[in-house]
Amino acid sequence: MWRAPTDAKLDGMTITSMKTAVELRAVSKIYGTGAGAVTALDAVDVAIAPASFTAIMGPSGSGKSTLLHCAAGLDRATSGDVVIDGVPIGGLSERSLTRLRRERVGFVFQAFNLIPALTAEQNVVLPQRLARRKPQPGAVRAMLAEVGLADRATHRPSELSGGQQQRVAIARALVSRPAVLFADEPTGALDTSASRDVLRLLRLAVDRHAQTVVMVTHDPYAAAHADRVILLKDGRIADHLSGPADAAEIAVRMTRLEQR
Amino acid sequence: MSLAWTMVRHRFAAFAGTFVAIALGVALIAGAGTLFASSQPQVSERYEHSPVLVHSPSVGKGSDGYDDYRAWTPSEARALAVRLEQVPGVRAAVPDPSFYIQRVINGRATGDAEAAKAQGHAWSSVALGGYRTIMGAAPEKAGEVALRGVAPGSRVEVLTARGPETWTVTATVDAPGFFVADDEAQARAGGVRVIGLTGNPQAAVVRSVAGADGLVFAGGERTKLEEESVSRIRWLGAQLIIAMVVLGVFVAVFVVASTCALGAAQRRREIGLLRAIGATPGQVVRLMYAETVVVAVLGGAVGVPLGALVAPLLAPPLVDAGLEPAGFAVTAQPLVLTAAFLTGMLVALAGVWTAAHRSSRVPALDALRDAAVERRAMTVPRWIIGLLTAAGGAALTIALPSIPAMQQTTAALGAAMLLLVAAALLAPVVIVPLVRVVTWPWRRAATGMLVREGTLTGVRRVASTAAPVLLTVGFATLLTGTIATIEQATRIDETAKIPAAMIAAPDGTPGLSEAAVTRQPGDAPLVSDVLLTVGGKTLSYQATGKQGLRGVELSKDLTGRPAQVEVGFADGSTVRLPVTGTHDGPAELVDLPRGVLRQHNPDALTESVLLDGPAVAAAGMKVLTVRQYVDARIGVEGRIIDLFLIVLITLTVGYTGLAVANTLLMATAGRRAEFRALRLAGGGTGDVLRVTTGEALLSVAVGTVLGGGVATAALAGMKRATEHELKQVVDLVVPWGQTLTVVLACAVIAVVAAGAPVLRRQQAT
Repeated sequence: MWRAPTDAKLDGMTITSMKTAVELRAVSKIYGTGAGAVTALDAVDVAIAPASFTAIMGPSGSGKSTLLHCAAGLDRATSGDVVIDGVPIGGLSERSLTRLRRERVGFVFQAFNLIPALTAEQNVVLPQRLARRKPQPGAVRAMLAEVGLADRATHRPSELSGGQQQRVAIARALVSRPAVLFADEPTGALDTSASRDVLRLLRLAVDRHAQTVVMVTHDPYAAAHADRVILLKDGRIADHLSGPADAAEIAVRMTRLEQR
Repeated sequence: MSLAWTMVRHRFAAFAGTFVAIALGVALIAGAGTLFASSQPQVSERYEHSPVLVHSPSVGKGSDGYDDYRAWTPSEARALAVRLEQVPGVRAAVPDPSFYIQRVINGRATGDAEAAKAQGHAWSSVALGGYRTIMGAAPEKAGEVALRGVAPGSRVEVLTARGPETWTVTATVDAPGFFVADDEAQARAGGVRVIGLTGNPQAAVVRSVAGADGLVFAGGERTKLEEESVSRIRWLGAQLIIAMVVLGVFVAVFVVASTCALGAAQRRREIGLLRAIGATPGQVVRLMYAETVVVAVLGGAVGVPLGALVAPLLAPPLVDAGLEPAGFAVTAQPLVLTAAFLTGMLVALAGVWTAAHRSSRVPALDALRDAAVERRAMTVPRWIIGLLTAAGGAALTIALPSIPAMQQTTAALGAAMLLLVAAALLAPVVIVPLVRVVTWPWRRAATGMLVREGTLTGVRRVASTAAPVLLTVGFATLLTGTIATIEQATRIDETAKIPAAMIAAPDGTPGLSEAAVTRQPGDAPLVSDVLLTVGGKTLSYQATGKQGLRGVELSKDLTGRPAQVEVGFADGSTVRLPVTGTHDGPAELVDLPRGVLRQHNPDALTESVLLDGPAVAAAGMKVLTVRQYVDARIGVEGRIIDLFLIVLITLTVGYTGLAVANTLLMATAGRRAEFRALRLAGGGTGDVLRVTTGEALLSVAVGTVLGGGVATAALAGMKRATEHELKQVVDLVVPWGQTLTVVLACAVIAVVAAGAPVLRRQQAT
């Protein structure tokens, strides 16, 4: 049974488009068993509309990373349903789930995003190679050009700066036009200027290519680039902001959340 | 595949261990295989100009699976030769009897004793080899001989089954051996087994003419008539080669497996990332297989030429060691090289199998996990297999007393091997308490604390260093210890069996001549092979001619003892003899009256004389105490066994070194961050080196304690088994020297391998 989010009316996009990119329906994640069990997610409902940019925030241990892992199919929920691009992933085998991830999900992590042995270009093509699809000629170069690395295609990760590596990772995540791109603290290991580049690229992907982006972050400045900010605490949605919110507002809400 | 290639090229250091293991393994297989395949029976040089050979008929297969043959009597041979000469194309049919002869120089018998048993030939057989007479005339009567390198008219001293003789050289021939007049050769040899045909006869016609009277070998089939002494040498060489290849393959799989396991653990995040961006578990497995195939191809490309180039260099030492016959030459063996290359590939895939399948289960989430946290060292399969082998070894040990005595030592060895493998698998469980105890005194010092804690948290690393050391120390101690203990026991056992104080034994000869024996006081058993027809079945037996017997004595193990048996002798005659008693020996031995055996085998020699009075000096004979005699007999075998042991243990230590070095190189390289932190905390390179050295030595110590412990326990079991088998007290011989050498070699390799990356980084910065 899936109940409509209580805040449905506030979320224009969920109402206008019934199709969602990702949906979490009463998802719980419990680590361990018995007395030592820890509830990381407690019956969370989230619907992510296509072509939206969602930021997930929360204090340490609030369950924001778990939420991302479950939503992206990297981890299995203890109970509840996760639906990616219309496909419920609960019943999928590891193989089918991998295939689904490959075709409809893109990832950008905080660090260690690239295979050190491969050049930037090879890293970008890798998911399509794994899917045994022929990369469209020029598509990879075009993607690299879009993230501003046209001249770095043949460089290996060790020859790129952290920001550049992150942009290659974004190019890799976007090149197959996934239904949703998950970013886990994508600016966590970067300096201010490189962070700005990465966030601008994610924003651009949403605006220009109607890409869906879900980003976990603890940085109010980063979250300010999103259309919508979901604040988690103790495995539950504690608060949320819609529409472009400024970083100061987000910071206030965060502080309030942590003090409560 | 291209992805695999890129991966291998980029992180070749991580694959270096696999590469070296495969390259060396392939080189070993290619080299040893080339030697093995090159060591084919050759047509004896003496038959080079005889396209068709006729051999005396077979009486059926013996218990060893080889044919037993009867000999022709001289008259049978002559009659058949006459018939064969009628075959169109035959120029001559030459009966080829051979007999024992050695040249005596300065009172000592010269040349290879075993080969000397068939060095005497008939003059007419010179034609079979196409040899030329350089000068002189054919020997025509007794006391005349033709041989190589001696001028006609010279006098030579020789030793034959009759005794020392002085002969006149009538001709110098370009042929190996001693050639005497045909009748003389016939008289000395007794029977004949080969008739050589010269000319150009057709094998099929010869076959029809010979009928049931002889077996025909033409062309390449003639290699089946290889001399026994040559076959024996080649067989010994083959044993060593087979042992080397089996051990080589086993340890190569082991090294590749441990390298791949460690590499996979270090690459966990990378594999997680691959999984996250869409690699299925199957693709991860295929990637790792493909990487290994790439490495194996490279390793094979280095190993095959290496083996092919080294093999010819090994031929002379093998001939010197008596493991290949003189004149052994290595030939090109493309098939062997291909097989070696493919074996390398299979070895690599077998090695990577576990690691690949374990890696494929790495969850995508691992890409997000930060540190390379030490995984549990003990996996479920490891527990299961470890406990199973331990239980198997223990059960076998407990069951030892109920196993038939003959198989006890073998069973004890098997049990020990099982226990060693179990110890290697279960080592991580023991490592923590063991390290705690060993490092207790240094727990307060900085280095001591670091080593102690580093080892306790890196159990898996320690285990993978300790495991090869454990196996090597264990195997080396066990093998050398078993052999030393059994040699010692045999020495005591044999000495006790001989009812005399002094023995007249052969001195550079295969046995004692009749002249030497008749002058000695004491029992002089004559030895020869005979054919015995018991219950309608004719088999070859080792006969001992003893004085004071009136008839045949068969083993008491032989059931259904007939009243009479037919005995076929070396001179081709068959005699019906009464069975008068039994002996305690094994079934394939038979005792005969000495006079009868001598009469039908003029070429038989006496093994030794158990002296019951003072000996009289004779050519080719020396007097030994029983102890010396037994030592000399064991020594002959012992030399070969020692050679085997040295080769096999060196091979194992070499591969262990590779495994240890590789583990530590990879581990130290993977711990750069840790060592950087140590430097930042105020430690110098010296401190880092002290830590790596301490840890390396600790790992070697753990391996030594476990391996040595299991081996010593196993040796004690072996001792009990041997005591049970021989029914007497046996001393346990522990080869401390060899064990220590092996341990030291392991320790040096470990310390260098652990420290090298630290020093290299130091230079780089």
